[in-house]
Amino acid sequence: MNIVEVQEVTKRYSHHTALNKVSLSVRQGAIFGLLGPNGAGKTTLIRILNRITLPDEGRILFEGHPLQNEDVSKIGYLPEERGLYKKMKAGEQALYLAQLKGMSASEAKKQLKLKFEQYQISDWWNRPTEELSKGMQQKLQFIITILHKPSFLILDEPFSGFDPINTNLLKEEIMTLSREGTTIILSTHNMTSVEEICNEIVLLNKSQKILEGNIYDVKQRFKDNTFKFEIANEQLPDASLFGDAFQLISQQPNEHTTAYTIRISDGHSSNELLQLLSQQCRIVSFAEVLPSMNDIFIQQVENFNTEHHAE
Amino acid sequence: MQNKTFLIISREYTTRVKKKSFIIMTILLPILMAALIFLPVLLVMHSERNQHSRILVVDDTEIFLNTFEETDNTTYQYRSGNIDQITQEAFSNDEFDCVFHILDNGEGLRSNLYYKESIPSSLQSSIESQMNETFFDRLLQDSLHINPEDFQKMQDLTKVNITAIQIDKDGNQRENDADMNMVIGMICGFFIYFIIIIFASQVLRGVLEEKTNRIVEVLVSSVKPIQLLTGKIVGIALVGITQFLIWVVLTSGILFGIQLAAPSLFESETSTEMATEMVSNSDLAGLADGNIFQVINNYFPVSFTELILSFFFFFVVGYLIYATLYAATGSVVDNESDSQQYTMPVTLPLLLAIITVPSISTNPHGQLAIWLSMIPLTSPISMMVRLPSGVPLWQLLTSMGICLLFLAFCIWFAAKIYRVGILMYGKKNGWKEIFRWLRNA
Repeated sequence: MNIVEVQEVTKRYSHHTALNKVSLSVRQGAIFGLLGPNGAGKTTLIRILNRITLPDEGRILFEGHPLQNEDVSKIGYLPEERGLYKKMKAGEQALYLAQLKGMSASEAKKQLKLKFEQYQISDWWNRPTEELSKGMQQKLQFIITILHKPSFLILDEPFSGFDPINTNLLKEEIMTLSREGTTIILSTHNMTSVEEICNEIVLLNKSQKILEGNIYDVKQRFKDNTFKFEIANEQLPDASLFGDAFQLISQQPNEHTTAYTIRISDGHSSNELLQLLSQQCRIVSFAEVLPSMNDIFIQQVENFNTEHHAE
Repeated sequence: MQNKTFLIISREYTTRVKKKSFIIMTILLPILMAALIFLPVLLVMHSERNQHSRILVVDDTEIFLNTFEETDNTTYQYRSGNIDQITQEAFSNDEFDCVFHILDNGEGLRSNLYYKESIPSSLQSSIESQMNETFFDRLLQDSLHINPEDFQKMQDLTKVNITAIQIDKDGNQRENDADMNMVIGMICGFFIYFIIIIFASQVLRGVLEEKTNRIVEVLVSSVKPIQLLTGKIVGIALVGITQFLIWVVLTSGILFGIQLAAPSLFESETSTEMATEMVSNSDLAGLADGNIFQVINNYFPVSFTELILSFFFFFVVGYLIYATLYAATGSVVDNESDSQQYTMPVTLPLLLAIITVPSISTNPHGQLAIWLSMIPLTSPISMMVRLPSGVPLWQLLTSMGICLLFLAFCIWFAAKIYRVGILMYGKKNGWKEIFRWLRNA
């Protein structure tokens, strides 16, 4: 079941179109990567999902019905541009924002105490936020975002500004929330984290959707039959092995082994290559090289831009 | 949803009321006011009450011999001879506090007052006026051969006193003091001006804070921008009302306290003199009889209730108009230093209203006064300045009606601008851009 369906959504501003007939659906329980270069329309889409702005055309379905104001209490949102009231005490502030999301004061307080303990910031309850370190402020913001147990969580660049330790903590928290059934939209430029935690992605570019799907499927779609293998140095494969069928891309000799990267031409298979290799030498490792999300991102955006430019 | 607006109001209210600066201002101002009113009186009284002045008069002209009137605090003695010698003797024996020398140098009367330590400032003026009177009477008698008592009688007979009496539509007569009206009008006008300046600009700063903080993005994902705006404006208005009420209570409390502790302060010559001067020829003199409201009602050309209600109306509506406009301004700018150029058009009418206060109060029914009390951006101030002098009911109601209409427009306008503006980071928004928001939003 899809928790969110974006149907043909268009949003125009005075000088440009921010979203052009964008449709996508987010499966219940998915960690959904919303990718795209700066200015692609991600923030606009996120704001529409939060009902901060309304689309000019198209509609949003949330849990099967058109998205309405009451739904915002089921949505958690961590914006990219984050801020807190500087002079307000950390605890009071969190309590206030949680209540604005519709929690009762007593429930919010109870949950906050727990979260503050879990994140080890209990001592800071009564301190003004401006005295908190940046990392602590980000923890506080994340706690506020998830406190009301949203079924749908939107995180815009959640890792920016976090140190590696806190980044890991955050990743674990995201995975935990996902296991508990929360659907998460993650908008980020950090492709490594996309590969690590997302299962589905959408790539926006110039207000349009240019790619979507399951990460595995996307990678399969863009793989180019490149394989990487290591051979023990005592007996290297015969140079005649490489040619039209198995194009050698690189060869990297190491102390005990040599690493090869080759591309297999159409009509040939990896099994064929393996067979030939196993007759000649000792194979230490053999694996298909799938394109990274980073490569796919860059390639797709560039292709789209050149096509667009040509038009 | 209403509940969320209430949450916002209560946050805006409590964070401001808990601020140290609020507490200090709220408590300090009435004390300062009271001090400002009573300290000078107190000081003068203190110095004069305990000082007994012994004065030695050396009158070379012999006109003023035995003419000075003795009081509880001053005694006079008369001597003649060499002034230097007398002065030295008088001071060295500590017989006298000052020596007063009157001489005629051919060009007219001259007089010198010699003293060792300080003398009360009132003493000099008291001596001067006594001398003037004596000398005047002397000249009347000697040169014009007129008996001073006859002259006084004539003066009393020819004295003309104008009492302005206003007749209202029911035919009731009301004595009226233009000066008093002016003062009350100016106080009301200035008060509304300060309320607007202080609290409406807090709205501006609040909006700007949330925008530059970026917390606004989190807020509008939970509540509608209009709730946020309403909450802020109402919350700050409540802060203003709280502060105002505390001021009124504290100031009257302090005044009452002083009256209890030192009743003489209110009966002392200095203050009663000032008071009688202000009160003379007016019904305020009836204060002694008791019912203050009756007195005030008799006094003002507008009824006291009308004045209070209008004040409250313009206080609230004036604040709301400027608060919504300032909120719109705050949402457009990106940082505080940029806000100047955008607040200009909003602040100018306010300045116009305040610089025209003196001319409106002296001529409350002139063209300028009527127009400015109709234009909604200036009317909260200008109308309050005019009101104590009596304004036709239709004018008052028209002005209020225009104000309300304009407020409705401001709310519509501000809501549109605000909704778009708060989410526009890092951009300088020109006027053209803003008008486009109005059209599109």
